[in-house]
Amino acid sequence: MRSHQRLRHEFAGSLGLLALVALAPAVVTNDYWLGVLIVSMYFALLSAGWNLLAGYTGQFSLAPATFAMIGAYGTGLLAYHWNIPPWIGIPAGILVAGLIGAALGRIVMRLRGPYLALTTLSFAEIMRIVIGNSYEFTRGDLGLSVPGLTDVRLAWYYVFLAIVVLVQIGLYALLKSRAGLYLQAIRDDEIGAASRGVDTVFWKTASFTISTAISGLAGVLYAHFSQLVSPELGLILQSGLVICMVFIGGIGSLIGPLIGAFLVYLSSEALREVGGIQLIVFSILVILVARFFREGLWGLVRRLMKERAA
Amino acid sequence: MSSLEVRALTKSFGGLKAVDRVSFSVRSGELLGLIGPNGSGKTTVLNMLSGHLKPDGGEILLDGEPVHGRTPEWAARHGLLRMFQLTRVFRRMTTLDNLMTAGCALGLSYADAQERAHQLVTDLKLERLATSDAGELSGGQQKLLEFGCCFMVPPRIALLDEPFAAVHPTMKEIMAGFIRREHAAGQTFLLVSHDMPVIVELCPRTICMNAGLVLADGETRAVLNDRQVIEAYLGSATA
Repeated sequence: MRSHQRLRHEFAGSLGLLALVALAPAVVTNDYWLGVLIVSMYFALLSAGWNLLAGYTGQFSLAPATFAMIGAYGTGLLAYHWNIPPWIGIPAGILVAGLIGAALGRIVMRLRGPYLALTTLSFAEIMRIVIGNSYEFTRGDLGLSVPGLTDVRLAWYYVFLAIVVLVQIGLYALLKSRAGLYLQAIRDDEIGAASRGVDTVFWKTASFTISTAISGLAGVLYAHFSQLVSPELGLILQSGLVICMVFIGGIGSLIGPLIGAFLVYLSSEALREVGGIQLIVFSILVILVARFFREGLWGLVRRLMKERAA
Repeated sequence: MSSLEVRALTKSFGGLKAVDRVSFSVRSGELLGLIGPNGSGKTTVLNMLSGHLKPDGGEILLDGEPVHGRTPEWAARHGLLRMFQLTRVFRRMTTLDNLMTAGCALGLSYADAQERAHQLVTDLKLERLATSDAGELSGGQQKLLEFGCCFMVPPRIALLDEPFAAVHPTMKEIMAGFIRREHAAGQTFLLVSHDMPVIVELCPRTICMNAGLVLADGETRAVLNDRQVIEAYLGSATA
């Protein structure tokens, strides 16, 4: 079936891209650039999770980074207050992010389009401000120090890479199954999906839960990697960056978010010296993508390949 | 034996009584026509039957079990499947995946849904478009696809809202042929249409609505020759 074939191509392409990332340390040897690539993988996880919700289910949340912050504080607070080791803290952080995601999903169940987006936006700001102001419990804007797992940067590099690969495999398996049909049906026409017997409430909640759990996973990893969590993780700006990445790479494809995450984060590092113009550049890129090639860079690649084949 | 029983069904929108104490029944295996001028309440009745609208009053019984005020998912899973007047297909999914979605959601296994989808694509002569995105299909082909989605799992009652409107005659014939064959095999239909020749040809019995009321209910020819029905369409002679 063509849609399966399409998905298979995207999956193979994303494994190819990740293979390149796996080989990168052969050339990139300094810790700084390894760190940049690690953070790119953090964003790749956030983008992949958000794409499941927005690109495949049509639920436009504006809070992907918020759930990374929730996950990070999950493990961070457990370690800080009760000395809970990371091997419990990490799954706990993911679980908390997923559960709060499920709850938010239920709350916004009947909202669509801009109403859904605005509700998630307010949720994102409320969470960030609550964490920032609960000084006694979270140390507020000072941030929380979190125990690291290892100081070997290369080890972290491959841990992140392995997790990105596993998440890609999981998403591929999910989208290939009947769940993939239901989610995309909801994206294309929710009323139509319900009329054909799709349990839209269940599948929307499931998509919210999985997507936010992936964000939470990215957050807990990042917390132990950077050994510091702060409310800045959940800035709207961060979510905006994730959304830019997915749009530029190609929304609604398995590989697009990965392309977008690496491209946008690496170029934002390259643009760092020229100051605060990164977001201007990315915003212009998003406008261009929205206007001229809706399917993002991956869509452009596909179009070029089709033309060459024809 | 009566399969679907509608009793004193009522729905108002603001001050307008769109459906006013409508009662009728659809017998199992019947192919029942539902006609009426624009705004007579046909689609509102269908919306209540398929769970898209909650009635203000009255009952809908499916084999004796009350089914009004349920959700569309519930209605679909209990065999009340509908086709919309304004086509609803999943535009960024392939023709086959559109059909598979309906099949899987109604409980077919993935493999069974795949087999049935291929069979329907052949029956509806959509083979060439099987792997095209539904959004790339013509309006008529999309109608045909939505029509097919209703039959992935044979419904207890297929509720078809204007399936023939703005559809190429060839595709209309494919649909009509499909309806005839399935009806002969015992499928129950409620068919809303403005296309009188098709109604006459397909439906032994027809109901005519006007301004929320049932004007006539009986043998199709007799309904079409009913003085009240003619007046509803053409205006009364004394006006």
